[in-house]
Parts: sequence; C-alpha cells; structure tokens
Amino acid sequence: METKIIICGLGGQGVVFLTRLLANTAIAAGHEVMVSETHGMSQRGGSVLSHLKINGNQAPLIQHGAADLLLALEVDEAARHLGYLRAGGTAFVDAERGLRPELDADIARLGLRVHCLPASKMAIALGAPTIANVILAGFAAAHPEMPLAYEALSHALEAGSGRHSDLNLAALEAGFRFSNQ
Amino acid sequence: MSKQLLLGNDAIGLALVEQDCRVVTGYPGTPSSEILAGVIKYKQQHDRQIYTEWSTNEKVALEVALAATWVGLRAAVTMKQVGLNVASDPLFSAAYQGVKGGFLVIAADDPGLHSSQTEQDSRLLALTAKVPVFDPSSPEEARAMVGHALSLSERYALPVMLRPTTRICHALQSMALNGLEPQRSISKERFRKEPERWAATPKFRFYQKRELNQKLLEIEKEFDLSPLNYVVDADAAARVGVITSGAAFHTTRQVLEQLGVRLPVLKIGTPYPLPRTRVSAFMAGLDAVIVVEETDVCIELQMPASQTTVHGRRDGAIPGAGELTPDVLFAALKETLNRLGVPTQAPPEDALLAETVQALPLPMRRPRLCPGCGHRSAFFAMKRTFGPKAIYPGDIGCYTLGSNLRAVDTLVDMGASVSMAHGFYHANRITGDSRPVIATIGDSTFLHSGIVPLLNAVHTGARFVLVILDNHTTAMTGFQPTMANDRLADGSDAAHSVSLAGMARACGVKFVVEADPYQQESFGALLQQAYDFSQSEQGGVAVIVADHPCVLYDNSPILEHPVPVLITEECDGCRYCVEAFECPALSLAPDRSRVNIDYKICVNCGQCIDACFKGFIVPDYQKVIS
Repeated sequence: METKIIICGLGGQGVVFLTRLLANTAIAAGHEVMVSETHGMSQRGGSVLSHLKINGNQAPLIQHGAADLLLALEVDEAARHLGYLRAGGTAFVDAERGLRPELDADIARLGLRVHCLPASKMAIALGAPTIANVILAGFAAAHPEMPLAYEALSHALEAGSGRHSDLNLAALEAGFRFSNQ
Repeated sequence: MSKQLLLGNDAIGLALVEQDCRVVTGYPGTPSSEILAGVIKYKQQHDRQIYTEWSTNEKVALEVALAATWVGLRAAVTMKQVGLNVASDPLFSAAYQGVKGGFLVIAADDPGLHSSQTEQDSRLLALTAKVPVFDPSSPEEARAMVGHALSLSERYALPVMLRPTTRICHALQSMALNGLEPQRSISKERFRKEPERWAATPKFRFYQKRELNQKLLEIEKEFDLSPLNYVVDADAAARVGVITSGAAFHTTRQVLEQLGVRLPVLKIGTPYPLPRTRVSAFMAGLDAVIVVEETDVCIELQMPASQTTVHGRRDGAIPGAGELTPDVLFAALKETLNRLGVPTQAPPEDALLAETVQALPLPMRRPRLCPGCGHRSAFFAMKRTFGPKAIYPGDIGCYTLGSNLRAVDTLVDMGASVSMAHGFYHANRITGDSRPVIATIGDSTFLHSGIVPLLNAVHTGARFVLVILDNHTTAMTGFQPTMANDRLADGSDAAHSVSLAGMARACGVKFVVEADPYQQESFGALLQQAYDFSQSEQGGVAVIVADHPCVLYDNSPILEHPVPVLITEECDGCRYCVEAFECPALSLAPDRSRVNIDYKICVNCGQCIDACFKGFIVPDYQKVIS
C-alpha cells in the first residue's frame, strides 16, 4: 500500500533523524522508499520539511492535499503544513493543547484527525530534550493510520542509534504508551 | 540482498567508487557537498586506492582531476552550479583538448534557490562549453548514469557532465548494494607527451574545435538510440505530449495522474546534445508538446524544426523562475492542457484550508546564525563600533546571515567582499563619500577567492577593514576542512595548514591581528584601531582574523567557560537585544512585556550580556556555582 508522509519541525529538532528512522523501518519491512530532505542554508534555524513516500512513485515531493500523514515536531509548523494532508488524513503533533482553534472548522469539514501529545515536555522529563522526535514516532505507531509498527521502529532504532539506543527505546515506548493511557 | 536507504549524493559517490574513478576532487557547495564524502566513505569501506581532496576552489579542483585523466585514470570533480562558473575556464579548454581517462564533471543545480545566489542551469553552461550532459531523475538513475557517462567520456575522449539537482542530491531512495568489482589494472597508464594536444597553440585549437564538433554530432546519433531517452504511456491517438528530464520527469507523471490525464511522455536522460531525431519522431503526429525541465531552457533551446507547437518556459506555459514542485506544475499543466482542449481534474488541495492557514499569524522563520555563533559576536561588535552608516560588503557562507544584523550590505559571489570593498573605496573617493568600509569573509571563502582581490587592494592602495571570520571549518556545507586546517578530506591529519594571518601579511597587508570576537569589548577596540590604521598616512588595508570555532563543530570554548545567563525582572521588553543581537534563544514574550530566554537552545555562551545596554541580561551566578 502507498503511504505519503510529511515530517516537519524546526532546525535542530531532529526532523532528518525522524524521517530516516521511518524510512529505514519501511525498507526493513521490504517496502520501496523515496525521501526528500532539507539541507544547507535553509536548515539554519528555519522550517525543516521532509517528504517520505512508501511504495509511491519516484517524484521527490508530495503535492498539497495528497499526504496521508503529517508528523509535526512544533505546533505552528503543523499549522503551516496542514494543507499537505488529504481529506481524511491524520496529523501527529508535538503540542500540549492542540492546534490553533481557527483551524477547527476546516479540520472538521475535511475529516482530518489530529492527535497531539506533549512530546517536548516528555522528552525533558526523560532527561533528553532532543528526543521528542522519537517520542512522536512511538505515539504515531500506536494509531492504526500509521503503517509502521512499534516493534519494527524499535528494531530500526536498535540497528541505527548505537550508544543512545536505550534512551531512544525508552522514548519510543513513552510515546507509544501515551496514546494508550 | 536487502536494500539500503541512500542519499542521492551518497549514491553518486558510491557509483564513482564502483566505476573505478582514481581521483575525485571538489569544493563543497549545497547541494553537491556530500558526494565527495560518499566517495571517501565507500573507498574506506572497500579499501580502494582513490585520491580524494577538497581543493582550494572549483577551478583548482577541475584542473587537478583533469591532470589525472591525462595520465589515463578515471577522474571526477564535484561542485555546485555557481562553482561551475569558477571552474568554467579550464572546462572550456578541456572540452577542446579532450581527455584520456574518463572525466566526469558533476555540477549540482539548485532549482528554487534553496541555498544559492542564482538559479542557473549548468546544462546551458555545458552546452556553451560543448560538453555532453546526463540529467538524472532519481538517486538510482544518477548512480546508473555515472557509468554511462564515464564510458562515453572515454570512448569520445572528452569531458562529460552529470547534472543532478537538489531534489536528486538530497533525496533518499531505497536501493540494492552489490559487491564491487576489483579495481582495474593501471600498469600502463602514464602521462604521454603530446604537445600539439596538451599544450595546443591557437592554430591547433582550431582543429580541436572542429574535432569536438564532429564528436558532438556522433554523440547526438548515439543519444538518439540511447535507452536513457524513452517514451512512457505511448498513445498513437494522442494530440498532446510532454518532453521532460530530471526530477521533473517523475513530478510530471505524478501531476498528470493527479490531473486525471494520460499523455505520452518522452523522458530525456541526455539533454545535450539533444537527440533531435528521437525528439522529432516523438513529435510526429502530435499537435503540441509541453517541455518540462529544470532549471532553464536547455531542451527547449535545441528543439528541432517541426509542425508541432512547443510550449514551455519560453511562451510562459511553465514558470520562468522557481522550482517545479508538484503544486507549481499542477497549476501550470492544468492551464496549458485546458488551453489545448485537454480536460483536467481539480487540484487536491483544499482552497479554504489554504486560506485559513494563510491568514494565521504564524511566526516568520528565516534562517539565523546558531546560538553561540562567534560570527554574531563579531558582527555585533562591528555594528557597535561603526554604526549603521558604515558600508558592510559581505560574502558567501553562514555569515551571509549577518544581513539579519544589518552587517551585510552586499553579496555577489565567493570572494567579492574583498573586491567590492576595494571598489567602494575608489568609487567613494570619487564621490567624496567618507563612510568606513568594513568587509567580512569566512576562512574557507577567503582561501577560495579572497586572496587574489586582497593582493589587488594592497597593490593599489585601498583603505578598508577586512574581517576574516575564522571558525576553523567550512560550516555551512557540513564541516569540510579548509587549507587552514591540519585535517585532509579523508579525516587524516596529514595536511600542511596555512596561516590566514600569514597569508594576509604575505599579500602585503601591514596591519594583521588575530583576536577572539567573544571578547567583545577588546574586539571592538581592535576594530577601531584597525580602522584608524587604514586611514593613517602609511595605512592601507587592515585585516582582523576573528578567531572562534564554529559552535556546532567545536564547542570546547563554551564547555570550558560556560556563562549561563538570566534576564532580570527589570527587563522592559524594548526588543533591542532581539533585533540587534538576533540570537534564536532570545524572544519577546507573547504579551511583549519582556524578553525570555529559550533554555532548550541556549548554549551558555554568555555573549548576549553585552547585547543589553541597560544591563538586564546578567550572568546567572547560581548556575555558575552549581
């Protein structure tokens, strides 16, 4: 099945790491993957955006209105890129209080599902402020819209993250469990 | 074998190793920078004998690799599109003289100007230089094209270009990694003297040009039959078709599907020389073709004469500037197809949601210097010493972002800060303008193109201050070593490092001082001293080497002397620090009553203490003690 995912946040939040984690997990599951990343000048402190296609065509970018999933590491970046979602698409957002209320009417009309968790706050509680990205991945994996399973993400983390492996696994689990609370 | 996720640039680097290139050189520049890193990674993994270097600049890099091809080795050189301008001099000559070992010139274009000063099309420069071009549409195709291109280069004995774009270089694709074949024997490769070729005088250059023209005609015939140029969705009944190349090929197919339209698409892998017979055959029977290519009009310029009308950038059917994203291409193709009588579907994007998002007061996020960046301290001291009226010529690198602090007034190309400062000095003398001229240039950029204009300025008696911002690395593109480092491209510490201050002195500069911009007060005093020297009777150019390592590359000065700060209750939210110092960790509270520090990104550099002239940013002594 084809899945188109937008991953967004700010420079330094680990958008690239999160994107590669999802991509590597998909490859390990035998899927074809195409990713587009932000590098260079646009990476310095600005908005960072990745496009990830699982079993899709080889075009590097996803069109607005066509993405199945949006993973956002910052609430305003989620709003900025919400238009990438198709009708009925799903957003997972690092936010304590949900998206801006001005968006509510459009979200309802388009049947968008928006799932929020305070990933940054949880990351600080885990003692690693930069690990909100992995918490968000675990959170998404607890929802049926996400095609990548928790166990598969966990394997990919173990394979890829070397000495930070324990911390990453704890973060993934914290995100996964949050949604079941 | 299981597949791996490869960055486009990594895939190109791997292919250079797979295809047995023995010398690979380059100068870093987004989006090309990771290609050479890929070569180094795979040569070390597979224990290959390959010479790699980050050269002083692109011209040097191309010439170093060219010599290797004249010895008979396969070689490649990597750069970004504006780097090709710097390397164009030897490229033009090399096309005439030809090569022995295969020679691949990799110039990465940046449609949409993500990290560049121009949106130029390297294929057009190759066309002018008479160098054939391969234009990959995906990382996997880029990897495959390296072999095709090197083979063509060897068979026709001329340089060949691979032209990836940002969306190829910085895409990641799953692909299979096969084992490598053993390196070829190079026992017979030697430089053999052929002065009429390798040192050709103008008379021989005429024959070389005739020979080159002949090669290009033969290559065009080969391209007519090449599997890299092919049709998808062929349809004898179609009235309209699309000719496309590069990443735009896949985007076009995605957009046509979204539009609900099926049209024949001719995919061009070799845009120069354009396989005109192949193109004519595709156009026969069609009323119209739409040419979709990045970055400019390489295919469109070479279109064969035909009854079929051609739409593209030249008639405005495709926008003349900017990246061909699926959104842009959807709008452009929809309008053109409707005009040609082909019905289409509506865009998938919801217009109402787009309107709502557009109206939200979302924060502007422009690129900024990192928290703790030494460049910020240097710029802030410059502004405090010389004020808003001084003229600040700037240069290419992270410190271009000094424009946010209004300490960069001009930006042209690599090294231009020095020659522009020099030019301003002489022009200002004519107009009677006495404003100070204070130029900035990074360490790598100074070595790339700043030395030659500095010689010029000293020789002709210009008077200005040049601040060399030395952060000990090429930070913007991923921390590649410069000539001033003792590290080589492959990470070994065998390099002979060059002193920046020594280089300035050797250029004849009489005032050269190295100082740490973190010592803002003494750095400001030094700037004044440098300016006073430049204006004195015996004065001229004054150079300050602002020495502070990139905070992302070497954070040891802060780790050794952290200065945690807090903002006192007295802060009145005047915003001076937010605007004049512009650290991402400083922001105005939502109620605008005061400034807050974002401790998640603050690095404890303490540099903002000087940025509050009211004294409300102070060291946090409790944190210092604990």
